[in-house]
Amino acid sequence: MAINRPIRQDDTVIGMNRAFLDALARAVAPESILTDPVDLLTYESDALVHLRATPGIVVLPATTAEVQAVVRLCHSEHVPFVARGHGTGLSGGALPVPDGVLIGLSRLNRVLDVDIPNLRVTIEPGVTNAEITRLVSPFGCYYAPDPSSQIVCSIGGNIAENSGGAHCLKYGFTVHHVLGVEVVLPNGELVHLGGRVLDTPGLDLLAAVVGSEGTLAIVTKATVRIMRRPEAIVTLLAGFGSIDEAGEAVSAIIASGIVPAAVEMMDRLTIEAAEAAVHPRFPDTSAVLIVELDGPRCEVDELFTTVEAICRSAGASTIETTRDEAERARIWKGRKAAFAAMGRVSPNYYVQDGVVPRTRLPEVLRRIRELEARSGLRIGNVFHAGDGNLHPLICYDESIPGQAAHAEAVASEILNYCIEAGGSITGEHGVGADKKASMPKMFTAGDLEAMHLLRCAFDPSGICNPGKVFPTPRLCGEVPGPYRQHPLERAGLAERF
Amino acid sequence: MNQVNQVNQVNPANPIAPGSVAELAAALQRANADGFTVGIGSNAARRADVALSLAQLTAPIDHYAGDLVATVAAGALLADVNTLLGRGNQWLPLDPPASERTTVGALVATNDSGPRRHRYGTPRDLIIGIEMVLADGRIAKAGGRVVKNVAGYDLARLMCGSFGSLAVITSATFKLSPVPAASRTVVVDIADARALGTLTQALAAAPLTPSTIELESPPYRLFVRFETTLLAADRQAAAVCEICTQDAALSASATIVADETEADVWRRYEARVWRASGTLLKVAVLPTDVSHLLECLERMSQAHGVEYRAGGRAALGVIYVRLTMNEDHHANLVADLRREASARGGSVVVHTRLGPHEDAGATAHIGATADGFHDIRWGDIGDALPLMRAVKARFDPKGTLNPGGGPGGL
Repeated sequence: MAINRPIRQDDTVIGMNRAFLDALARAVAPESILTDPVDLLTYESDALVHLRATPGIVVLPATTAEVQAVVRLCHSEHVPFVARGHGTGLSGGALPVPDGVLIGLSRLNRVLDVDIPNLRVTIEPGVTNAEITRLVSPFGCYYAPDPSSQIVCSIGGNIAENSGGAHCLKYGFTVHHVLGVEVVLPNGELVHLGGRVLDTPGLDLLAAVVGSEGTLAIVTKATVRIMRRPEAIVTLLAGFGSIDEAGEAVSAIIASGIVPAAVEMMDRLTIEAAEAAVHPRFPDTSAVLIVELDGPRCEVDELFTTVEAICRSAGASTIETTRDEAERARIWKGRKAAFAAMGRVSPNYYVQDGVVPRTRLPEVLRRIRELEARSGLRIGNVFHAGDGNLHPLICYDESIPGQAAHAEAVASEILNYCIEAGGSITGEHGVGADKKASMPKMFTAGDLEAMHLLRCAFDPSGICNPGKVFPTPRLCGEVPGPYRQHPLERAGLAERF
Repeated sequence: MNQVNQVNQVNPANPIAPGSVAELAAALQRANADGFTVGIGSNAARRADVALSLAQLTAPIDHYAGDLVATVAAGALLADVNTLLGRGNQWLPLDPPASERTTVGALVATNDSGPRRHRYGTPRDLIIGIEMVLADGRIAKAGGRVVKNVAGYDLARLMCGSFGSLAVITSATFKLSPVPAASRTVVVDIADARALGTLTQALAAAPLTPSTIELESPPYRLFVRFETTLLAADRQAAAVCEICTQDAALSASATIVADETEADVWRRYEARVWRASGTLLKVAVLPTDVSHLLECLERMSQAHGVEYRAGGRAALGVIYVRLTMNEDHHANLVADLRREASARGGSVVVHTRLGPHEDAGATAHIGATADGFHDIRWGDIGDALPLMRAVKARFDPKGTLNPGGGPGGL
């Protein structure tokens, strides 16, 4: 990407006054500012490309102090800003506000500390997810959350979205692996939430910031927990004659008291697509199930026998098991390439992300198949079967008038099925700009009001990534009166130790 | 016996004990409108106008066994919940002290946990949904009943450890775990704090998956527990014994216990620190600083003439310390210990019980007991305190809920 020239007097940046731009130019290095319309194009959308907006200006700060300076200016001039990591988000969370400031954090990409004895790594938000594992793998460690985009997505974006991945069934999401963050609040103040040590006293605002989709603060530093690689990892790839059979196997595995590291399922269409794109040599069946167990060798070997027996009795037509790293990588490549591979079988596709209670999977998948027949659009299904997280891929051709809108309507209908089954409108991609209209299907006005209280505490003026998460824009109203001290505290008694 | 308040009238002299969420909402709305402060639990009467008891919020558990999920009312006791879930061979894997007296609401509000935190985490790690009543009586929920869910702000986790300062929790939904088939505990007696630190690091680096690496002092001891299949538990316990004997410098002696003996070991462990009187400290440091902190504690207790018993998560760096004797010197010891912990980025939080309700021999721990929260000295909260106050002010603008009872005195 070409570094832009400094702002010139004759630059016209729509919707921003000259004084603001001049102040911005003083706050950060000249090469940190992009105003050329061609450069701005890059930042019009994240990976949800059908939602686009042109930011007024793009700033690429290289330090926390620069982030603070930019945010302080936005705050004083009441200019909305949007933070962006590496732009791999799938819900339009980093969709710019037209004429607002887009703050790209890719240059904040330093590794600050690697502490193997304490299993902690401190990095800046522009470091990629996979980079953390690369840093610590010589020490037999890894970073557990593994979204499919892990080789390119940023840790800052992972924190904003509370990213999951195939292995979160056993090891949890980003929120379980971030111990502390340094954030710039929407007024430019710098605060620290959590830390390198556990149980930092105070409200757990770290938990609130993780998954807040960039609407509460900008993360400028994070300490994450890394894990020791398990002694043994065994991966099973089983082919089934139907999704229902594969689903039965999953239920039986969970009922047997086993918690696999991952349980993934793909249907015929996504198998075909993956085969065409990355040749993982998946069996030619209606469904494949990938089950991975990890842990101490003696435990894995014992439990694996059970898993294999369950798959056989559920009707698996083929079973391949592997302990070999290269073979595992081949299987996972097939799974993780599933989204991108749809490009091989369809000109366009829409990735949905919904969740149902795992036990309701067969019923919801049946409804999706009925919808497929009714809509005339092919729908591929790839999902995290262990936790009921579905990723239906709705194929369409945007050159056919109306088909894109039709695909979006079909995707939205699938969310209704998820909610009716007691699930969620998003398991890992976030609400962002894409699904905010669906929030009232899942939450009452009262629920959303309670969430909005949190937003108002962080961002009373509503300039931090506005227009995301909440279905309708809301103002925060008066900032409540000064904090009321407890009488004991006022008397100086509450801190006598 | 006090008469319980009717929902349509709040009398500061009497406690509120709603039997339903709707009743609670009506009572809170009234109290908030009338300017009464509301405290949770019997001890809360000291800092609030009206005491609120959730003991009657005990709606039946919704156990979705096939999904490994359950929704539990705030007034349910953890031990009862786990008895019921156990019939389906599942459990909510939290083992705070006195689980027979710990309500689920208090458990969430205090984010309390026990030795198995090493493997399963705290309520914050297991909660997936919440229902609560805001200070003004509005009912709100967040999260849901699926484990994987990023829709909306994570208010469920925000409530964990909020000590009733933001909202009244009425029910919570948790991710459950299967009950393990077998359990073995290795009890390791070890010479000193330094050797304990070395052994803890060796165990954490070994390819083992213990559910606890729990320390006790004095004398120095580790409890390493394995809960998995019988074969894997036996083999891993044997591996711990081997690690202990490999390094003669540790002069560690390991014993494997099972069944009743094992249960007894854990009962005695819990009683030593938690079923005792005196000041209770929660010390958090980096795992590699645990042995240093234990050495400091040993030295400081001698210097101040204070007796102590410590127990905690050796590999996580969270240690609980009970101070007894020479109470006038507890504050000095805490100040010294805080200096050491803060210098290493750690913290010391002090829990003492409130006077009038104190009875000799009663349990006092991090607060998650049926009788409410204890008096807590939080120490330095850091640069996010103003933000925490802003959150409190938004959720509870009139300061109705548990005034002064939240973290940092919120």
